[in-house]
Amino acid sequence: MIKQICRKSWFSTFILAILLILLSCVSLFVGVMDIDIPTLLSGREGMELKIFILGRIPRLLAILCTGVGMSVAGLIMQQLCMNKFVSPTTGATIQSAQLGIVLSMVFLPTMGLGMRTIFAFIFAIIGTLLFVFFVQRIQVKDTVLVPLVGIMFGNIIGGVTNFLAYQAEVTQQLSTYFSGSFALILKGNYELVYLVAPLVILAFIYANHFNIVGMGQDFSRNLGVNYNVILILGLSISAVITASVIVIVGQISYIGLIVPNLVTLFKGDKIRGTLIDTALFGALFVLLCDMIARSVIKPYEIPMELVVGIIGSIIFIIMLFYKLKHGKKAIRWGGHHRKHLHGAHHGRHHHHRRNKEVGICE
Amino acid sequence: MNRAKMHRRNVTRLALLAVMVLVAVVFYLLVNSHPEKPKLFQYILSLRLPTLLCMIIACISIGAATLIFQSIVNNRIVTPALLGMNSIYSFLHTAAVFVLGTGSTLFLNANLAFAVDLLTMGVVGTLIYWYLFKKTGHNVLYIMLIGTVLSSLFGSVQSAMIRVMDPNEYDALLGSLVADFNNINGEIILFATIMLLVLAFVLRRELGLLDVITMGRNQAINLGVDYDNVIRKLLFGVVLCMAVATATIGPVSFLGLIVANMSRQIFKTYKHSHLMVGASLMGMLALIGGQMISQHLFHFTVPVSTFVTIAGGIYFLYLLLFKKGAY
Amino acid sequence: MNVVDLIKSYGSKTVVKEVSFTVPKGKVLSLIGPNGAGKSTVMGMISRLIARDAGVIDFEGQDLTKWKSKELAKHLAILTQHNNVQMKLTVRELVAFGRFPYSGSRLTPEDNEMVDKAIAYMELQEYQDQYIDELSGGQRQRAYIAMVIAQDTEYVLLDEPTNNLDIYHATNLMRIARRLCDELGKTVILVLHEINYAAFYSDYICAFKNGRIAKFGPVEEVITKETLSEIYKVDFEIMNIGGKPLTIYY
Repeated sequence: MIKQICRKSWFSTFILAILLILLSCVSLFVGVMDIDIPTLLSGREGMELKIFILGRIPRLLAILCTGVGMSVAGLIMQQLCMNKFVSPTTGATIQSAQLGIVLSMVFLPTMGLGMRTIFAFIFAIIGTLLFVFFVQRIQVKDTVLVPLVGIMFGNIIGGVTNFLAYQAEVTQQLSTYFSGSFALILKGNYELVYLVAPLVILAFIYANHFNIVGMGQDFSRNLGVNYNVILILGLSISAVITASVIVIVGQISYIGLIVPNLVTLFKGDKIRGTLIDTALFGALFVLLCDMIARSVIKPYEIPMELVVGIIGSIIFIIMLFYKLKHGKKAIRWGGHHRKHLHGAHHGRHHHHRRNKEVGICE
Repeated sequence: MNRAKMHRRNVTRLALLAVMVLVAVVFYLLVNSHPEKPKLFQYILSLRLPTLLCMIIACISIGAATLIFQSIVNNRIVTPALLGMNSIYSFLHTAAVFVLGTGSTLFLNANLAFAVDLLTMGVVGTLIYWYLFKKTGHNVLYIMLIGTVLSSLFGSVQSAMIRVMDPNEYDALLGSLVADFNNINGEIILFATIMLLVLAFVLRRELGLLDVITMGRNQAINLGVDYDNVIRKLLFGVVLCMAVATATIGPVSFLGLIVANMSRQIFKTYKHSHLMVGASLMGMLALIGGQMISQHLFHFTVPVSTFVTIAGGIYFLYLLLFKKGAY
Repeated sequence: MNVVDLIKSYGSKTVVKEVSFTVPKGKVLSLIGPNGAGKSTVMGMISRLIARDAGVIDFEGQDLTKWKSKELAKHLAILTQHNNVQMKLTVRELVAFGRFPYSGSRLTPEDNEMVDKAIAYMELQEYQDQYIDELSGGQRQRAYIAMVIAQDTEYVLLDEPTNNLDIYHATNLMRIARRLCDELGKTVILVLHEINYAAFYSDYICAFKNGRIAKFGPVEEVITKETLSEIYKVDFEIMNIGGKPLTIYY
């Protein structure tokens, strides 16, 4: 019943938006220093207003952009690859961006944030494209194999990054720089994440195209969509979003993986319909995680990355078990694209499962 | 090639490997050790010997654990390390410190701490993976994916606990809690050795069944193996072996994968006795060689595990994608 | 072997409902039926690969669960259809595993003799030192049967042995099953999809539908127009070739 309401109307979007606004307001007033509205309005306490404008508001905006960006990036990748388990985390995007950053640190240490950003963009795009083309070329049949390949691909790139970092003796610097956290966000050093906004809008414009490309090369040619151009465009958008978040906030895994999946469970697979919800839910999710990160060991903070990592990986494991159990019958897994995913039905079923017809490799 | 001939060939190869390891050991101990200055020589040896012993113990545990595990799962690209057994161990260790406090007497004695870790790891690890096997119906891809995610989950929880314990001294605490190549845990060498011997003795019957277990569940049951029971015991052994390896030299994720598969390629046999010895010897060769490169070529800046990760990752992808039927 | 009131459910779905039958000794018995009828599950339960929810399987005077696994392996052998062995194993080594229940990993001269016999029986001499992953599907299947022969059990259970084999190898395999019974006096139980193989090579047929036995009896009693049409929901014609009823369906 609830699912029907959610799917049919804008009800869910509305609820999510309201929740997000409410939580954003709450979040502004959580922090080391207690700030309440009367003092703020009275205008007498300059210090508090400063914290508010220089610290809290940038932080909130950065959080929102991160949540929106990472989840939309994940959604695009999943649509394009037609695989629920692909995301910046499991598609080598994050590690590639980090490699780019380290390379710029090692070879162009004098250049500042700008150069780092450009390197991160370029490498994220290259890494993601390489991964996707690679996976398509060898025609990985098993849905679950794709993320596994991606994680390993990411591990290798991470190994190279580590090697370079050790060589250049920047490991210490990197471990702080890469750990995803909003603690160091201040006015003046975070504005790059605003880049997420136009990119998300671009993604929204091309949403239907992504859907079509996800249906395969022949399918898109039939509908007159240039497969390669759209594929590269889509992957680049998500790579750039991811890279800009990494440059400013640091590494934050799993959002791109689990947020779109949770939303899809209720809303179905059509990207136009889910994009806004995904973006809102992503922002909400990161906001919640940030509040947890700030309140556990007050006045210190746990890095956001850890909170998201813990919650995210638990949800991901639940998702995997869910898929394993329900296979074909899963409410929305695969949705109306099911035909496309049927490649791997000869999976290694365990003997006693055979008669149950549990397709574990849908 | 017939049986006897193959057996001879494999024994020869094992002997050859053993000789190579011996040479590597000698080189490792003696290169740049300044034997002309006895004091310095002694000092250098006192540094290198524990590292060497730790590496040897770890290689034996990793080689054995990986091969046993692969046979249990009936698959050649899964390794206990890939499934996060290392991170679970590190996590449990940190959790114990977290609960009991850094100053607890328990952690002043390395052997006592190790015993506690082994106990918790044996119980928790076996339970987790047993459940995973049951729940996924031995579906390898799911086991692997869930395993990798578990490994990142435990990593995150561990880091978070360290942060909570001491928000300022994060990095220092992390280094002191987890062993790694430049920070081996020499105090537990004796304990670890005894542990491995006891394990081999206790599991001697189950180890004998490995050749049959490799044929898969149905065949093993058909041939009269009490399957579930044997698997549980073997899994327990694997978990403890991984605990020993992680406790001594820290996590080296891909080593097991490489040596187990190379061992299979070189010995082309199903006999676990040969495979395990071969894998352990190759591991030693790789680690001792790698450690020498790291010491003398990179002057300790780049730890061996970095090389192992890169090489192992590429090898893993190769197996995953181009060796159809490997999983 | 006596099976009484066997029940098996997966989740809320009961796939085997109160199945009872007696396996005729020294004969070939085929289990047939449409997909999901429960025949493979029954096979799994009588071979102890699948745990049953309820019921009794009396094997040689003792319930199957009461048997020691190793002891049972000397009396009953099962060959399932998925046998993807991951290791480098030669045909001879595979067949030698059939002796495992008797002497573990150390073969006695008698064991080696049994292995030789089994290999000869399946005409695998020329392949015996090849690795099984280098064999064709038909040869590999024969190697597994040789292992089962080396296991030297009174009962041989084969779960869809003709799956993925071409007509030549499948027919060959059915002949072997028949010979196991006629020449070596074994009781052979098969799960088959091919009705005609079942009709031609078996003595008895047990037809399943919706988790129950629809018909159990000698071939001539089960392979009738009415019974088969009822079970499979397609039209059947029965012809008599060489004294055996064979079916045509369309």
